[in-house]
Amino acid sequence: MAGALSATAWACGSSAPTQELVDARRAYERAQVSPATEYTPDELLTARQALDRAEAAHEDDPGSNTEAHLAYLAARKAQLAAARGEMAQAKASEAKAKATYQAQLEKTATSSQDQLAKTRSQLEEAREATSSAEAARQTAEQRAAAALQSLSQVAMVKEEQRGMVITLSGSVLFPSGGATLSPIARQSLDQVAEALKQQARETPLIIEGHTDSRGSDATNERLSQERAQAVASYLATRGVDASRIQVVGRGEEQPIASNDTTDGRASNRRVEIVVGSRSSEPATSFGAVNKAAPGGAAAKTLPTEPQQPMQQQRMQQPQQQQQQRMQQPQQQQQQGAQPPAP
Amino acid sequence: MTSITRFALPLGIAITAAACGGSEAPTKQFAESQSAVRAASEVGAERNPQAALHLKMARDQIEKAQALNREGEHAAAKQLLKQAEVDAELALTLTRAEQAQRDEEQAEQQLQSLSQ
Repeated sequence: MAGALSATAWACGSSAPTQELVDARRAYERAQVSPATEYTPDELLTARQALDRAEAAHEDDPGSNTEAHLAYLAARKAQLAAARGEMAQAKASEAKAKATYQAQLEKTATSSQDQLAKTRSQLEEAREATSSAEAARQTAEQRAAAALQSLSQVAMVKEEQRGMVITLSGSVLFPSGGATLSPIARQSLDQVAEALKQQARETPLIIEGHTDSRGSDATNERLSQERAQAVASYLATRGVDASRIQVVGRGEEQPIASNDTTDGRASNRRVEIVVGSRSSEPATSFGAVNKAAPGGAAAKTLPTEPQQPMQQQRMQQPQQQQQQRMQQPQQQQQQGAQPPAP
Repeated sequence: MTSITRFALPLGIAITAAACGGSEAPTKQFAESQSAVRAASEVGAERNPQAALHLKMARDQIEKAQALNREGEHAAAKQLLKQAEVDAELALTLTRAEQAQRDEEQAEQQLQSLSQ
């Protein structure tokens, strides 16, 4: 309607452009600075061509109806170009935002999965570490038990309330009245040291010296202390951690045999190594191993054996009796043997 | 049935106009303009003020073209119908562009909601 009216108004041949052409030029200028330049250049070109036709009509016949009509179309084409450019831009931005959104969602999901996988593998590692630590602990205990067991060749090993007790005969270790280790004693102690080194590092060791009843109490106490100290010092030189060792001189206070006989006194002269109390598991295996021992040991013994009082004392601790074992060869040779128990 | 009535009127006008105006009535252009108006209306151009303005311009020009046709002014009618068509096309495009911008804003908001 506007076009028709304008066309009529400008039909009188004025050289001024119709209002439609003015509008079209302005619309095209706006379209040129719109997103159409980047997103819909084809639309902008179409608008340009429409405007060119209107301008040509204006040149041909200024203010004509044709000019107004073509300018009207050109103005709309320019507006269309701008609108389509904006639409294309909006859609491109939307697509970009959605893609970014999707990517971030996936990234979040991936990092969550990574975290989950990491946590799982840490858990698995922790489990493996626990089980291998458990296995290592068991192996160490078995090795420690086996080590103590091997001492049965050089000493008597038994389990008491205070821990595993390794008893070394004083007559083997020391000359009478002295505290200097004999070469044979050193060999035996080397084995003891090796066994002790196999024990758990924190296991405390108490080394107790004992004497028979001959001599004064003071002398015996000093001598027992010196002997225990000699054993401790030697063990330390063989690699046993000295900080684990506590040295005690008991003198004649704790006889394990009668002091009335030569053999009984020989039994009382001794050094005991108390290996700090441990779990009951190794003790069980000791029991099992040593069950076989008494028969063999008994077969070698002779009737005058002075170990009777010692065995009586052990009878007070039935569980330990099974584990006792007296196998120091030198000791047996010196002391002779006892007949088999009836 | 509707299509017959829709085209019966312009066809009648065209025949009458051809008899006295010397040129054929713009039947095809009339159909295209009306189709464009219908398409713009369907996407909701009435709800967008700027689009609604151009939609009204298109309808007014079609109405005016019909009047011109009846008077045998077929050439003038055809020009108006062409103008009506681009107005309707613009109405449709403006409506869609606005929708595209709303969609974009929504996507941006969704994206921002992630970083919060």
